Amino acid sequence: MTRRFWVFIEQNHGEMHPVAAELLGVANCLVSEVADELKASGEEAVVEGILVGHDVDNVAKEALMYGAERIYHVDDPAFEHYLNRPYTEALTHLVEKYKPEVFLIGATTLGRDLAGAVATSIKTGLTADCTKLEMGPFRKIEKKLLLATRPAFGGNVIATIVCKDHTPQMATVRPRVFETPVRNPKAKGEIIQESFEVTPEMMAAQLVEFITDQTTNLNLEYAEVIVSGGKGLGNSKGFELIKELADELGGVVGSSRAAVDGGWIDYAHQVGQTGKHVRPKLYVACGISGAIQHKVGMQDSDYILAINTDPQAPIFEVSTLGVVGDLYEVIPEMIKQLRAQKGASA
Amino acid sequence: MSKDKLQYDVIVVGAGMAGSTAAAIAAREGLNVAVIERGVKPGSKNYFGGALYTHALVDIYPDFFDRKPPLERPVTETGFWFLSDDGLVKATVQGGVVNSDPIDAYVALRAEFDPWWAEQAVAEGAFIIPKTLVNDFLYEDGKVVGVKTDRPEGDVYAPVVIICEGVNNLLTQKLGLIDHDIKISKTALAVKQMISIPAKDINARLGLPDNNHGMAISVMGDVSMGLAGLGFLYTAKGALSLGVGVTLDALQESGIKPYELLQRYLEHPAIAPLIKDGQMMEYGAHLIPEGGWTTMPRLYTDGVLVAGDAASMVNALHWEGTNMAITAGKQAGLTAVEAHKKGDFSAKSLSTYQDKLSDLFVLQDMKQYRKFSAFLKNHPQFMDIYPTFINDALGMFFTGFGKPKRKLYKDIFRSLTSRRPLFKAIGDIIAFGRSIIGI
Amino acid sequence: MIHLLVSVKQVPDTTNIRIDPETGSMIRKGVPAILNPYDAHAVASAAEWKKKLGGKLTVVTMGPPAAEEALQECIEMGADRAVLISDRAFAGSDTLATSYVLAEAIRKIDQEDHIDLVFFGKQAIDGDTAQVGPGVAIRLGLPLVTYAVEIQDVNEEEGFALIVRKTESGKEIIKTKLPAAITAEKAIADIPYASLPDLITSLKYKPEVWSAQEPVAYDIDQVGLGGSPTMVAKSGSPEAHEPAETISVEENGLAGAVKAALEKMLSNTSVAALLEDQQ
Repeated sequence: MTRRFWVFIEQNHGEMHPVAAELLGVANCLVSEVADELKASGEEAVVEGILVGHDVDNVAKEALMYGAERIYHVDDPAFEHYLNRPYTEALTHLVEKYKPEVFLIGATTLGRDLAGAVATSIKTGLTADCTKLEMGPFRKIEKKLLLATRPAFGGNVIATIVCKDHTPQMATVRPRVFETPVRNPKAKGEIIQESFEVTPEMMAAQLVEFITDQTTNLNLEYAEVIVSGGKGLGNSKGFELIKELADELGGVVGSSRAAVDGGWIDYAHQVGQTGKHVRPKLYVACGISGAIQHKVGMQDSDYILAINTDPQAPIFEVSTLGVVGDLYEVIPEMIKQLRAQKGASA
Repeated sequence: MSKDKLQYDVIVVGAGMAGSTAAAIAAREGLNVAVIERGVKPGSKNYFGGALYTHALVDIYPDFFDRKPPLERPVTETGFWFLSDDGLVKATVQGGVVNSDPIDAYVALRAEFDPWWAEQAVAEGAFIIPKTLVNDFLYEDGKVVGVKTDRPEGDVYAPVVIICEGVNNLLTQKLGLIDHDIKISKTALAVKQMISIPAKDINARLGLPDNNHGMAISVMGDVSMGLAGLGFLYTAKGALSLGVGVTLDALQESGIKPYELLQRYLEHPAIAPLIKDGQMMEYGAHLIPEGGWTTMPRLYTDGVLVAGDAASMVNALHWEGTNMAITAGKQAGLTAVEAHKKGDFSAKSLSTYQDKLSDLFVLQDMKQYRKFSAFLKNHPQFMDIYPTFINDALGMFFTGFGKPKRKLYKDIFRSLTSRRPLFKAIGDIIAFGRSIIGI
Repeated sequence: MIHLLVSVKQVPDTTNIRIDPETGSMIRKGVPAILNPYDAHAVASAAEWKKKLGGKLTVVTMGPPAAEEALQECIEMGADRAVLISDRAFAGSDTLATSYVLAEAIRKIDQEDHIDLVFFGKQAIDGDTAQVGPGVAIRLGLPLVTYAVEIQDVNEEEGFALIVRKTESGKEIIKTKLPAAITAEKAIADIPYASLPDLITSLKYKPEVWSAQEPVAYDIDQVGLGGSPTMVAKSGSPEAHEPAETISVEENGLAGAVKAALEKMLSNTSVAALLEDQQ
């Protein structure tokens, strides 16, 4: 029997979402964690991707490059734009056909819309927004189970969830929680075209119009430099200063939940447990106290600089470097010195 | 939605100690009572040290204790602590008269007690409307016939309105029952912390035999850094409540911040060990009206009665406020009932409210203690010199081993007179006596 | 007459959570229970449309008896009927079991009076999974539109609604046949300040209480712990980090502190390379 570890390959009009690659990486880790069981039982384990869309063959090829052995591809004009019902029915059909052991979906807007419906349709367990996934023993159960770890209660508690009697064991993961695996352009794998009939009943909802946002260009999750503002800014105007520093460093603007809740900046900029997970090379936290639900979203950044007037602020616990001072003084001075350095080396 | 106007027999503004009591008494006598409370629930805007007094509670509900009220420890030990900057003299009493049955005072938490007290009023038939602010009155022929609230379609009618709005008595002012806003020299800001400490540690540190014993302490001296005010300590079941209250003008003049006072108190060498390893559970502040008789508004007018903090009904020295509020609330409720029987809601008819309070401790004590808050302000030596002197005097007395006692007494005497000439000290004591006797 | 239904949840106010270091569980004492904020906005939106179109608004919740308070808030905002589905048998339900309980209750209500649009809040602030809305929708066979920020139109006669949905890349306008289900963002409607008569009505209103047997006979194997495929294997506190090296402006002066900070940052090769790319 083949043990299937599935990843939903999310795509938006022919472009694969990077989270799919990240999850393929995770799925391969999970497979390696059951190597001992496979040896003992003689079974095989595979990482496979599920792709639903229309005219998206290139995405299937792309997904193979990130570690999928096989892609199950459902193509139909009905799938051109994401809609909950047809996608849910298609995935349910495939799950019932192939009976995967594990099914991972990215916790994007689309993924969170889709995963709950699929899990309910199949009547299995789903753990959302996981920060850690591994195959491990649970009680006296023979086979290892998917141990899905996620922060709870705003990040104050780390809980590990299992789904012991139902398959597939499902989990959603926010983008950038896991690293992108290395892309192998030479990867060889199968693409299997699966047929699925979309009935008119499934198309009760239709896309009428799509309007892009100016925040489309934000791409917070994959930015290399992020400068974030929080409650310490005091008002929305403070984000002008944050933007200045971000521009100076070649980065984008992020925000804590407090600033978004205060209406100072759009939710698209929110970093944290209920916002975006980021892991830039440089993260600058300005006037952010560092509540756990924010920390959870940025603590994997390579280098973290925090600026805060309170030397006891929790943000300093996850930072690489901290400056204790007023951001309205420190940031202009920092910009000044950075420009001077640029000028000197120009 | 009903377009009939909202009409009740009595409207009570505020579901605190006074308001819920007035409502309960009036409802008990069959009147249709609505209590309009601005907080999310009764008690959400209230805060105190503090202790509730049994006499007032059982006066309203004779079976009070059978109802299993949410109370903290009974006050089985009480008195004064005098703090010098590094010393402490305890003058407390326990047993004897204090050990009555039931105990005369219980430590309580307003966030738990007020909702319960309001529920008792609801059980009598009162209707409580929370999350709604009364911000004005409805008039007919110059008489109050109801209130306006901040909600759409928010007019409510009643021939008698009992104002129990608390220390920030904007409605009382609006009616012209008092001609000024709250005065900073007559209003104290009290700040406190509740520090969670295991019950057995509280017992060990304060010398209480078990969880059924508790303390209510008035703290004088270093706690207010020479400003007119007092500190306090109350024992809850698993926490200590420590705080200090100082008049607003003293805070303004001195530039000292309230949390600085509190922090200093908690760090005092005799206090710090009591709260060692405790967890700060709660931090809050509230205004206390301390003008008493001098800032008391007119207590009634056509269609209106005023009770509780809104009427400055507080005796600061004796920490009496909640019982005054309950007692006045009861009398206001009874007065409203009588007015309905007579069908007369005029000022003259309602004036019996003031008469009744004059027969009770409420107005009698307010009159007697009318000079007390001014006294404290004009005699700062009671906040610094005398507590320090008491510490020094007793300290020296009890460590005078081997000293010729004549010299010892001279030294003790000088420790007073070097700070305050004797005749002035005597004058102070007389002034203190006068301020509490009321002459 | 249009019939709208909102499914709500009473949650602890998680913005100020404290965890008991000994038991690892949340200290519930002193933490107020509130109507889930996203659900509140969903109710506000439903109430607006009920008034606009002339119709009825029902709210349901699965919860303990205390959840009555959350339902009262919904009546205050304009709901006409509130149903509390409460039974010990439901305790320990994960999202699959919860969606079963709610779906069957909604099905029952629909039998008596056809429902045109079911609202959910985007997610509950305690669980944050956003799974129940989609779960109920699929069980009831309803088309689902999540992350709704605006309802442009509800046309009862022709049987469709126009919903604006917000995604990472922009806004979608979805036309869906009715009946349908939506999950709402806060932007969908402002919470109104209820009129005094509405508030009084809500204070006097007693929600209907449904059990696991009446009026819906639930399959016990699909509710509670027994009906929940997922369970908590373990929980604990997050790992501690090594604290940052801090430079104080007070001690070093503004220029000095920033200079020292930049020096430290540039001594990290990765950051230096990044900043060099900016030159």
